[in-house]
Amino acid sequence: MEKVLQINNLSKNYGSLQAVRNVSFTVNKGEVYGILGPNGSGKTTTLAVVLGILNANGGSYQWFNEPFTKMARRRIGSLIETPNFYPYLSLWENLKIVAKIKDAPEDDINNALGIANLLKRKHTNFGHLSLGMKQRMSMAAVLIGNPEVLVLDEPTNGLDPEGFAEVRNIIQSQANEGKTIILASHILDEVEKVCSHVAILKSGELIANGRVGELLSAEETVIINSDKKEELLKMLKESKLAKDIYPVEQDLAVVLNSEYNVSDLNKLCVENGFILTKILVKKQSLEDQFLQLVK
Amino acid sequence: MKKLFSLEKIKALSYPAFKTLMIIHFLLFFLVILVVSRVHFSVPGFSIKGLYQFPNIWGFFPWVASWFNIFLTIVLITLVGNEFSYRTFRQNVIDGLSRNDLVHSKLILIFTIAIYTFLMVLIAVIAFGLIYSNEFSFDLMIDKSYLILIYFIQAIGYMTLGLFFALIFRNTALSIILFLVYFPVEGIIRLFFKAEARRYFPLKIISNLTPRPEVLTMASEKEYTTASGTSSLDFSEMGLLPENLPLGITVILAAGYIGFFIGMAYLLMNKRSL
Repeated sequence: MEKVLQINNLSKNYGSLQAVRNVSFTVNKGEVYGILGPNGSGKTTTLAVVLGILNANGGSYQWFNEPFTKMARRRIGSLIETPNFYPYLSLWENLKIVAKIKDAPEDDINNALGIANLLKRKHTNFGHLSLGMKQRMSMAAVLIGNPEVLVLDEPTNGLDPEGFAEVRNIIQSQANEGKTIILASHILDEVEKVCSHVAILKSGELIANGRVGELLSAEETVIINSDKKEELLKMLKESKLAKDIYPVEQDLAVVLNSEYNVSDLNKLCVENGFILTKILVKKQSLEDQFLQLVK
Repeated sequence: MKKLFSLEKIKALSYPAFKTLMIIHFLLFFLVILVVSRVHFSVPGFSIKGLYQFPNIWGFFPWVASWFNIFLTIVLITLVGNEFSYRTFRQNVIDGLSRNDLVHSKLILIFTIAIYTFLMVLIAVIAFGLIYSNEFSFDLMIDKSYLILIYFIQAIGYMTLGLFFALIFRNTALSIILFLVYFPVEGIIRLFFKAEARRYFPLKIISNLTPRPEVLTMASEKEYTTASGTSSLDFSEMGLLPENLPLGITVILAAGYIGFFIGMAYLLMNKRSL
C-alpha cells in the first residue's frame, strides 16, 4: 500500500510544555484518517508540524515517501485551525493567490467556490464573511488544484447544522473519489461516520490507532445499576472480569475483558448478592472508546 | 520569481492603506520640492535656484526623497506585519510556498518599491533640472547622476532594515514604533563611542548614503563660485559641512548591512515557527 504520510517519533515542545511526544503513525493512500483528542492533546500541533509551519523538536516525517518538498505541498490541500486569508481581498482574489501558489488553473476557483456554495459571494471581501462562510471558504481553498490529500483540522468549526452537513458531504464525496483525507476533529460522530482509520491522542501522546471497526469491536461494554452501587463498584474492581469501570450518568459502564461476556457478569453479581436493576449491553461507539481511553 | 511578483502585486495593490500611503508619499515629495523651489533668500549671493540646477539637483532631490524613505519603510513593515496578523504567511506555506519564497517575495516587494521611488526622483530631477538650469551640456547634466543610484541603494537599505524589524517583532504597530525609536536610540548609543567608530553604525551608514547637500555651496550664486563650480567661500573651514566617510566606502558598508539584514531575514523565517 502506498504510504502518503509517515510520522516517526515526532515531538514538539512549547518552552517546557511537551505538546507532542514521540508520536508515530502512518496514513496510506485512500484512507480517511481521523485524529481524535481532547483540547490540547496535540492534534493541531501534529498537523502544523507535518505541514511545515511549526518546527519539530524531534522525530521525522515524510510525505509520499520523501522529505517534504514544495512539490509535495502542492499535492496537499490543508485547512489548519482558523481560516487565514487577506480580509481586504475578495474571495476570488484570495483564491487567485492560492491558485497561483499551487500553479492551478483559474477555472479551479469558480469550481471550488461552487462546491463550497460561495459562488454568489465571489466578489465579497473575506473580512465581511460570517464565521461559517469563512470556514466554507477555507474548504474552497483546500480544493484548489485538485489535491490528492486533504488535511482538515476541525473543518466544521463554527458551522450551522446546514453548513456542517455540507462540509461533511464535501469530505465524503472527496473520500469517494479515492482521495486520502486526514481529519482532526473533536466531533466523534463526525469521525465515526467518515473515517476508516483513527488515531487517538492524549496529552501529546498517541494512545490508540487503527481501523475504526477494530477499535470499536475490541471489547464489550455493559451498562448496569444496582441499589448497592458503591459496593458493586468495589466488588467489580476486585474481579478479573472487568477491564474498566466508569460512571455514565447514574449508571456504571463495565468494559469486559475479552474472555468474558454479559452472562458471566450477571452470574458474578448474583453470586455476590447484588440484584442488578439495570443491565444493558451497549454497542460501543467511538465516543465510548474515546472517553474510556482519554479519561 | 514572476509568480512571487504577481502574488505581491495582488496583495499590495488591493490593500487600500498601501495605495493611500504611496499616493501620500508621492504628493509629499512633490509638495516639498515645489514649496522649496518658491523660497527666496534675501541674503546676497544665495539663491535656492542653485539647488535645482544640474548637477546639484542630483544630490538635492535624493536627499529630500531620503526623508520619505522612512515613510516607504513604514509601508513595507505594514505589509509584512499584516502577513503575521492575518496569519497568511502560514497559509502561503500550507498552500505550497517555501519559507525562503516568503523572504524572496518581500525582497521583490522592496526592490519594486525602490524602483518606483528611484523613477519618481529621476523624473523629478530631469524635469526640474531642465526647467531651472541655465546650461545644458551633457557632461554637466550627468555629472553627479550616480547619486540617484546611491539613493536607490539607500531605499533598499532602509526597507531591508524594516523587514528585519518586522520579522523579529511580527507585529505591525510594535515594529513601526521600534523602528522609529531605533533612530534616536542609535544616536544615543553612538555617543558612547569614539568619533571614528560612530560613523560605522548601520543607520548612520545608510542615512549618509544621501548626505545633507552642501546647501550653502550649491545655493551660492555664480559670482561667488569658481570656474570649477566650487564655492570660493570655504564652508568647511567655517565648520558648516559634515564630515563623513568617503561615499565609496559608505556604499560598500551599506551593501554589507543590507546583506546582513537579508541574511537575518532568511534566518528568522527558517528558524522560527510561523
